[in-house]
Amino acid sequence: MFALPVRSVARAATRLKVPGSLRPLSSHPQPSPSQPQQQTPPPVDVPPRSAIQSAETEQPAEQPVKEWADRLGALGENTRLPRSVQAIYMRPLRRRAEHGLPVCDLQLRSYSVRNVEFYADFAIRAAYYLNLPVSGPIPLPRIVERWTVPRSNFVHKKSQENFERITLRRLIQIKDGDLQAVEAWLAFLRKYAFYGVGMKANVWQHESLEVGKAMDASVADIGKSLGADLAQFGLRKGSSADRVNTIFDNLDNERFKERRDI
Amino acid sequence: MSKMASLFRPAKLDLGGFKNIRVIRDHNKRIAIEQTEPERQALRYIIRNTSLPARARAQAQLQLSQMHPYTRPTQVKNRCVDSGTARSVFRTFRINRFQFRMQALAGELPGVKKASW
Repeated sequence: MFALPVRSVARAATRLKVPGSLRPLSSHPQPSPSQPQQQTPPPVDVPPRSAIQSAETEQPAEQPVKEWADRLGALGENTRLPRSVQAIYMRPLRRRAEHGLPVCDLQLRSYSVRNVEFYADFAIRAAYYLNLPVSGPIPLPRIVERWTVPRSNFVHKKSQENFERITLRRLIQIKDGDLQAVEAWLAFLRKYAFYGVGMKANVWQHESLEVGKAMDASVADIGKSLGADLAQFGLRKGSSADRVNTIFDNLDNERFKERRDI
Repeated sequence: MSKMASLFRPAKLDLGGFKNIRVIRDHNKRIAIEQTEPERQALRYIIRNTSLPARARAQAQLQLSQMHPYTRPTQVKNRCVDSGTARSVFRTFRINRFQFRMQALAGELPGVKKASW
C-alpha cells in the first residue's frame, strides 16, 4: 500500500526529465530521483519559448541555477494575459451615460440563476465593446408559479404533491446609445443566445420637437400607399368594390350555401 | 349531423401527440369553428342589431340555429396532449394533472420542480 505512491512519484520524476518545450530549463544540477518531492509538476500552460530563453540569457553563467518553483514564480511575475482576457476575471467594464436617456430595455428570463447571471454579464460586456452605456443587471421580482396535484386517484385526495416553477428575471437598460448600435447589440445577443435564457427587448426612438410637421408632410405618401388597401376595407380579398351586396347575399353565396344544404 | 361532421374533417389527419376518437373529434370541432366564424359573427350581428327589419333578424336567427353544433365555440374542450383526458388539463402545459406529475418528476418540464415552503 505504501509502495504505490512512491513508485508513482518516481515515475513522474523520470517523465519530468524530458518535457518537450522545456528542455533548455532541464539542465538541473541534481535531477536525482532520491529527492523527487521537491520537484514541481510540469506547468499546465507552457509559457512562450522566447520568454524562457531571455530569462535564461539574462542570468550570468556563474550564478547558481534557481529551483523550479522560483523560476516558475518569476515567470508569473514577468508575463501577463492580454488585457481583454484579464478583463474576463474582473467586473464588466462600463461606459458612462451622458444624458441618461433610456433607449432599450432588455429583459432576460430563465429558470436557473447561473444561466441568467452568466448571460446578463455577457450582454453587459458586449455592450461595452459596442460603446453602449448600460445600467443593470437589475434583478426584477421572481415569478413563482405553484401547482398542487393529487398523488393518485381522486379517492386519495388527501395525499397531494406541490410543484413550483420560479422564473428569474434581469433587466438591462441601455442609455442614450445609437439606435444602430443597439440593434447590432440585440442581433449579437440573439446570435449567441444562451440555452435556457429567454430575452425580450423594448426599443425606444426619440424624435425632434418637429414631429407633428413631419407627420403632416408624410400624410400624402401614406394615403397613396394605403389607398389600395383601404378600397378593400370590409371586403374579401378577391372581390372588387363594385360588387357590393347585402350581407344576406353574401351569406347565401356558394361559400356558405354548401354547408347549409347538407 | 354525422355526415355534416365529416365535412369539417381534414383529408389527412394533421394531429400530433396522443390520438383517440375524442381527441380527433375535438380537433374537427376546432377546425369547424375556425372556418365558420365570420358567418356566425355576421348572423349574430344581424340578430342583435335592432335597427334592422324584424324579418331579417328572424331570418338570421333561423340560420344561426340551423348551423351545425360543431361550429359552436362552446363545443371546444381542452384535452390532454399526452393522454387525451378531458379533466384537469393544465392550460400552461396542455397536460393532464397526472401526466404533469409524472413528467415533472421525470424532469421533462423545464423549471418545474418539487416545492416545499
